[in-house]
Amino acid sequence: MFENLVLAAPELFTLSTMMLMMVGTVAGLLAGAVPGFTIAMAVVLVLPFTFSMSPVQGLATMIAVYVGGLSGGLMSGILTGIPGTPSSVATTFDGYPLARSGQPGLALGIGVWSSFFGGIFAALVLMLVAPQLALIGLEFQPVDYFSLIIFALTVTASLAGDQMVKGLMSGLFGLLIATVGSDVVFGQPRFTFGIDRLEQGFAFLPVLVGIFAFGRLLGDVNTSEKAHQPLGGETHVVHINYLAAAREVLSRWTNVLRSSAIGVFVGVLPAAGSTISNVLAYDQAKKASKEHDEFGKGAVDGIIAPEAANNATAGGALIVMMALGLPGDIMTAIMLGALLIHDVIPSPSFITDEPTIAYSIFLAFFVANFMMLVLQSFTLRGFVLITKVKLYMLTGVILFYCALGMFALNNISWDMWTLFFFGILGFLMRALGFPVVPLVLGVVLGSIAEARLSQVFARSDDIMVFLTRPWSLFFLLLACFSIVFPIYQKHRGKAWWAGFYPSLLLIVMAYPVFLMPGTIRPVAAGLMVLAGLIIAVLHLRRDRTPQSAE
Amino acid sequence: MTLNRDFFVALFFLVLVTVIYAATYSLPEPMFGQLASWTWPRIILIPLGFLSLVLMVQSQTSGEEAATIASFTGWLKDNVKPFICFLLFFGFLYLMPVLGMLLGGLLYVFLTLCVLGGWSPRQLGLHAGISAVFVIGMWAIFSLALGVVLPEGTLLRVY
Repeated sequence: MFENLVLAAPELFTLSTMMLMMVGTVAGLLAGAVPGFTIAMAVVLVLPFTFSMSPVQGLATMIAVYVGGLSGGLMSGILTGIPGTPSSVATTFDGYPLARSGQPGLALGIGVWSSFFGGIFAALVLMLVAPQLALIGLEFQPVDYFSLIIFALTVTASLAGDQMVKGLMSGLFGLLIATVGSDVVFGQPRFTFGIDRLEQGFAFLPVLVGIFAFGRLLGDVNTSEKAHQPLGGETHVVHINYLAAAREVLSRWTNVLRSSAIGVFVGVLPAAGSTISNVLAYDQAKKASKEHDEFGKGAVDGIIAPEAANNATAGGALIVMMALGLPGDIMTAIMLGALLIHDVIPSPSFITDEPTIAYSIFLAFFVANFMMLVLQSFTLRGFVLITKVKLYMLTGVILFYCALGMFALNNISWDMWTLFFFGILGFLMRALGFPVVPLVLGVVLGSIAEARLSQVFARSDDIMVFLTRPWSLFFLLLACFSIVFPIYQKHRGKAWWAGFYPSLLLIVMAYPVFLMPGTIRPVAAGLMVLAGLIIAVLHLRRDRTPQSAE
Repeated sequence: MTLNRDFFVALFFLVLVTVIYAATYSLPEPMFGQLASWTWPRIILIPLGFLSLVLMVQSQTSGEEAATIASFTGWLKDNVKPFICFLLFFGFLYLMPVLGMLLGGLLYVFLTLCVLGGWSPRQLGLHAGISAVFVIGMWAIFSLALGVVLPEGTLLRVY
């Protein structure tokens, strides 16, 4: 590996490539920060410029845009509550409340460092275990993807908080909205009720921005007093203390590692992407945290998890692209196209056949994360000026920008109307006490779930396949535990039965792991059973001790 | 029976579920080995209908007071500014073919700022300045730098 790195380094570390990467990172940061301007749009805009470059130079520039874009989303997500990209949806849950509580500097600093550590984690994984990890992606079939999405949807149960029924209804309503338009199998109109416009369905970005932007911004300016307050509260100077933020993030290293691992894993699965990983990581962070009641109110762990995960997902997607020639998401699909233009064809032997290019990509991803850290410090200085602006001024301008951005997405006016309709829906749902985040998740994941389900049925109509495929069973069992987790969390330390939840989780989850191929995973399953039994015995003993003492 | 807010919400969802479920019967039947168009929607509608019933039952046991015309108008009064903003946005989209993105945007941002911020002469000047700088600036970035052809109205042809 080190020989290959030595070979790749001179290719990458040239003045022109470094300059191009810096420009790319800034472009990505800006693209990620503007709601409606997606990272994919930025990477597509950069693509034609890379034709005249060498493969290493072109890919390094695109990777810089990609990494910059993933991190740029946190700026608008934290400061305005509107996710710049779908990959930063979960960042808004706690980032915006923390910024509104007068600590925008801390929120931004934590976001930047979490993105950095997530990216570095993924870069190390990329260099060390790329080929091995990519093989897991190959094991996934549509049935496994469908179960993964079902698991992702169970996140709504924990996001709903006290409003469990309304939260679940909101998620299901989101799934229902995603069914409007052309159906995925026949391409025929569904639930359009004779309205031609509805045949296009609802693009999820206008839905997402409508629900977040209108509902949140207009909800904040309903009185003159609130409208005339600056976004960052009465704090006049926004100071980003990077050292304090870094310390805060490092003190929660388990969350950083867990979220980064989730990010890489989801990135390895083709077509899963950071839209799913940021929400999954947030949910796991909430479940693991002792301060889970603080989530949604400005919890630090709630910012770390999605930001570490979405940057790590980029590394996972690059692994699959290089080792298997499969694009993990739209960005890696564009990069794959760029490689093909340069007559470089990714395949399982790509890393050994083209070590210079492969390791240049590894290094570029590594370097891009450092560039993001440095350059984001500068771009943030400009962006934090927003926190000093009065809320009503931001509201007027941002709503116009949202309309402009949504039109530019597909160059159709219908997307602006979608933005408007879902703005009203988001506003009304908030007023009626419905959490809107499950609704957004439902809309985003609904069409992916149906497409995967149709692929499952195209292969076989035997529904037992959901239980016989190890990965599918793994995610379905995990989904069951995920649904009952809020109940466990409520009774943890109070009810006797709650002490058996972790051991039951380990023992039950060991079964699908045991069914997986190879030798490592069955051994891991054995260890999981052992750990589960030890935890159960310890709980029983702990329970008996006070009784015997009495 | 208490006709409170959650009761009406649950009722709305029950009607919606019934209408959509009935609409699934007009969708085409699948061929061999294909997922029917109605399968996924029905998978969603059944639990949604069940949860709507649960919400309806909850609404009767929660102790929430009955909704009245007075409470509804009170809520409307509290949120009059957001509703005006929605109306302005509707007007902005509706008049897009006439005013276009540029003129419509200028007018929309100016009026929204005035509704939310105030109508004093000093504020009018400030809001006009903000609208001009940000709307024309962003319009120029998208149409001149990024090459996006934004909607132009019949009043002002810019391309």
